[in-house]
Amino acid sequence: MKTLFRFLFKILKIAALVYGILFAVFYYDLDGKFMYYIWEPLMIKRFDNMKRPDATAMPYSMKESVE
Amino acid sequence: MAFGLKDIKAKYRELFVVEKSPEEKNQPKDIKKMARDFWYGKPHEERRLGDLYVGNTGLYKHREWRGFKDTMYYFNMIWLYNYAHMVTDIMEYGGGPQGIVEFAKGTMRYRWMGQTYLTVMHWFDRGLEGARGETMKASAWHYRGMVSETIRQFMRMFEADKKLHGGEENELWKKTIAHNETLSGNIFYGWRDQLDDVALEMIPYFVSVHVNNHTVLNYIDAAQSIGLPSDPCPMCQAEYGLFVQDDYPDYSPVMLTTNEACDGSVATSVLQDWFLNRPLYAMPQPMRYDDPLVQKHCQKEIEGAWKFVEENFGIKMNWDLYVEHAKNFNKLTEFEWEKWDVAANTPYYPITGVAQALYRIYYSQDGDRQIWHDMDAHVKRIMDKCVKNKIETFPKTRHRAIAWSCAPLYYSHWCTWAYNCWGINCVINMDSLMFDQYLRTDTYEHALEDLSWFNEKAPMRAMAVGGQEHILSLFDYMERFNCDMVIMYDQLQCKGMQGIHGVFEDEFRKRNIHAIWVPHALPDKRTVSRAEIRDIINDYMTTVMREEPLDPTLLDFDDSGSW
Repeated sequence: MKTLFRFLFKILKIAALVYGILFAVFYYDLDGKFMYYIWEPLMIKRFDNMKRPDATAMPYSMKESVE
Repeated sequence: MAFGLKDIKAKYRELFVVEKSPEEKNQPKDIKKMARDFWYGKPHEERRLGDLYVGNTGLYKHREWRGFKDTMYYFNMIWLYNYAHMVTDIMEYGGGPQGIVEFAKGTMRYRWMGQTYLTVMHWFDRGLEGARGETMKASAWHYRGMVSETIRQFMRMFEADKKLHGGEENELWKKTIAHNETLSGNIFYGWRDQLDDVALEMIPYFVSVHVNNHTVLNYIDAAQSIGLPSDPCPMCQAEYGLFVQDDYPDYSPVMLTTNEACDGSVATSVLQDWFLNRPLYAMPQPMRYDDPLVQKHCQKEIEGAWKFVEENFGIKMNWDLYVEHAKNFNKLTEFEWEKWDVAANTPYYPITGVAQALYRIYYSQDGDRQIWHDMDAHVKRIMDKCVKNKIETFPKTRHRAIAWSCAPLYYSHWCTWAYNCWGINCVINMDSLMFDQYLRTDTYEHALEDLSWFNEKAPMRAMAVGGQEHILSLFDYMERFNCDMVIMYDQLQCKGMQGIHGVFEDEFRKRNIHAIWVPHALPDKRTVSRAEIRDIINDYMTTVMREEPLDPTLLDFDDSGSW
């Protein structure tokens, strides 16, 4: 029984620690800062350098006339 | 590059430390007040929300302390809850854990996904800034609904997308209907058991601008880069810019388009016809939509769309299914009317102007989905509580405003700022009042007639470009919602609205109405910045209204780099 309580207490302690860390991330807007300063610049670089087909090269075939 | 301790300290101060005002510095410590502020949050006038921003980024040095209860609610039931549910939504709509893989592929392939949607919690922050108690809770449920439905749509796109699956036309590709974002989802109720309908530009363009307005500029520039003119509505430009940049998911064998919101969209249809190169049905709506002579024509257009879907997918429309969804959608409409009633006649309406507008336009355009019913149930519970207990949800209201015409997408949360700074409470807006149509289902003729009306009352058409008698209905709504101020959006590239500018000026003068013109260019923040919009409102409030701001730190700040 004692072991079980100890185990549960340990789980509780870990959960409290994780909860505290998440609260710090939330309160200090660390998620926003990560997105703004790290993630978004990486994505911009990626998408700016992405090779894209020339959409205008596609011929425009006229469809049948509208009734 | 040398980076010393001094730089680290400076960076730390820039990112995390809220500088105290000289008055605050000189004040002796009042433990009682500090404890009260900790538990209840600071009174409105002492919040100094503008001090929380990091430079021009719109980020927070720390998120707002709203009092213990509200901060913990925001942390647990908004921030954590939504992050967690985003993951479960991705798995649910992506058919299990493999949904994560599809999501990652989409994130790395599409700019509007990778650059935009991961910043979504800041969309909540901006819209809910300063909100407390029931207002914060009810508005956050609206945001939750929009996020979930957005995930459902982009997951369907990614799962069916040829581009993400080596060009393969998989089963989902064959069972998905693509349509223009302003073509109502309720046209397709009759196939919801076998096919799914996903608006093509809703997620890549419209919602993305609200969440992170950086992305859309690429599409506007792309449209102009191939020689297309820069003066049409930037919404249309962004919509076809997606195609110029090959940044649209290829998830359907067909496309249905419309000339909604205005005839500027005709060009979008033509360009989509070119770039998509697949069967396309255009469902135009007449400008003078309430002319009795055009009703039969509109109904035939809808029947034509149904025939087009039947022919291309080989599946007959299920009429009973249409009736079932239309009836369900009517329940959403009934609750919307209830909300309007509370907003119009009481000070107990618990939804911010931006949450009201976006949620309403989103679900009306999207059509009947379970998520809207779930969210409405949450909001109804909160609203009933507010009415029953007479909870004043916007206690600092000095002016009840109605916002008219189309809003700046990059600054749809201006109303949150206006309330925090000036006590201007945006009670209702034009976007919320569109689609005001109950769908009868007793006979085929009635159903078609009402569906047609619903579609004609779509964004912009009903009140912006559908004839001046409709746009001037502003004054009736102003009275109905007990408003004393108009925020008049002035979309600089909307030819329809520009044409009627003078008529409004005359009417405002004649009726002695306080109206603030807010110029903007829909998704393009470069034309009129958010700071310029705030300046205009500030000027009016100080020079005409001769009022003092509730929170002076919000008068002038730089958010030019913000999402």
